[in-house]
Amino acid sequence: MNYFLYQGCSLEASGVHYLVSLKAVAKVLGLSLKEIEDWNCCGASISYVGGNELSVDVLAARNLALAEAQGGMDIIAPCSSCYVVLNKVNRKFQEKPELLKEVNEVLAEGNLQYSGKIRVRHLLDVLYHDVGLDKIRSAVKRPLQGVAVAGYVGCQSVRPYGEYDSAEKPVIQDRILEAIGATAVPFPTKMRCCGSGLFLTELDYCYELIRTILSDALNNGGKIISTVCPMCQMNLEAYQDRMNKALGTDFKVPILFLTQLMAVAFGLSRKEAALDRLMISADPYLKAA
Amino acid sequence: MEQVVGPKYQSKGSAGKDYDPSFAREVYEKVDSGAELKMCMQCGVCAGSCPLRDKMDYSPRKIFALIRAGKREKVLKSKAIMLCTSCYSCIVRCPRKVPVMDIMHGLAHYALSLGYKPRAETALFGEKFWGNIYRLGRVDEKDVALRYFLGHKLSDAVLLMLENKNMGLGMLRYKRMKVLPERPLKNIKSFRKMLDKAKAMGKGGAA
Repeated sequence: MNYFLYQGCSLEASGVHYLVSLKAVAKVLGLSLKEIEDWNCCGASISYVGGNELSVDVLAARNLALAEAQGGMDIIAPCSSCYVVLNKVNRKFQEKPELLKEVNEVLAEGNLQYSGKIRVRHLLDVLYHDVGLDKIRSAVKRPLQGVAVAGYVGCQSVRPYGEYDSAEKPVIQDRILEAIGATAVPFPTKMRCCGSGLFLTELDYCYELIRTILSDALNNGGKIISTVCPMCQMNLEAYQDRMNKALGTDFKVPILFLTQLMAVAFGLSRKEAALDRLMISADPYLKAA
Repeated sequence: MEQVVGPKYQSKGSAGKDYDPSFAREVYEKVDSGAELKMCMQCGVCAGSCPLRDKMDYSPRKIFALIRAGKREKVLKSKAIMLCTSCYSCIVRCPRKVPVMDIMHGLAHYALSLGYKPRAETALFGEKFWGNIYRLGRVDEKDVALRYFLGHKLSDAVLLMLENKNMGLGMLRYKRMKVLPERPLKNIKSFRKMLDKAKAMGKGGAA
């Protein structure tokens, strides 16, 4: 199975443990991933400050056009923000030919053009619908028996359209967690926003958002949180300590990427699972497995 | 230009007297996704879905009502139009398929381009973020953060850096920060030309 990997900016820095574990897991599952050559930033959540809507559309269009010129395979966007932007803009191009025409005028500056035919997929979508739970189950060497995980999907992973899973009550991540032997605990706030790109500038508001998510995970019996978004991972993990100080709480919840848990279950090394990149160690909870 | 909510009823009693369609027309024409606002029926599902609704001076629904009422200054100065986290809850739930989030982003961009600063901190961060995109084609997290800190007066910049020191050190320690500066895209020149052209062709700013 061949795909483009649109890794995005975060997966090369604060979310590098997502990229490392994703590549290791993909190898086990027989997914061949090719980087889009000379890809650019998707614009994420805050690009509206500097760019008008057409500029932001062009950011996505250039990546789609590059993918089309380089082979036209489906794009896997593991970062939720990349996924939501690329997928939304792609759909706009498909529904509004006049916009696509306008964008192609802009792309011509770089001798590129886009037909609207590329498919943008989230990693969860590919894992569940292309790879399938059976194949994931058969790759498990060390089931995560007794590990209680709260599957945090985050707001952007299945939105805006809910194409491959419900946009309000998604279940795919939980099914994958169960396939690798973990217990997926009920988690009503799995779609609640973590604060996204506002963290640096609206800290006090964001503390309240992550406290809700963390306490909901614990109250439902979760010991660790699994996520598929680098922004969620960073906000929930790297700010936990500061939030504890600000709100007088005492949280110490490890936040892992789903692919890290999969790598552990597949019997891969600590390095391949990138467990050494976590600020809050998950070792005490994974030892039991 | 088609009818906006109120004036039609102006002759019948007081209902609608507060309505002034001029700002709504401005929003339709000049704000990105602004015309989508026409579909709003003021049900308030967007407000009920917004994770930061209780921190806003006006909910998205109220912002739309204010636009229709012609309250230009109130809207463009509102701190709510820049408090969007882009969670898409409002878009997913709107029964009339209004892209509420896109309109809020459009309003914020429009207000900024006219010199309003609904939220100075987020505006500064966003400006540095876009600066990275334009300069490099990609975002270098440490570079954006540093430029954001240094965009303040010196005493505030030092304070911000101290507050975020442990975070930065943690990212370094766990090898989650690119130590070297990010290099620009191979085709950065044509990339910038595209953004320049899109800026000139698109609406959303005060030309």
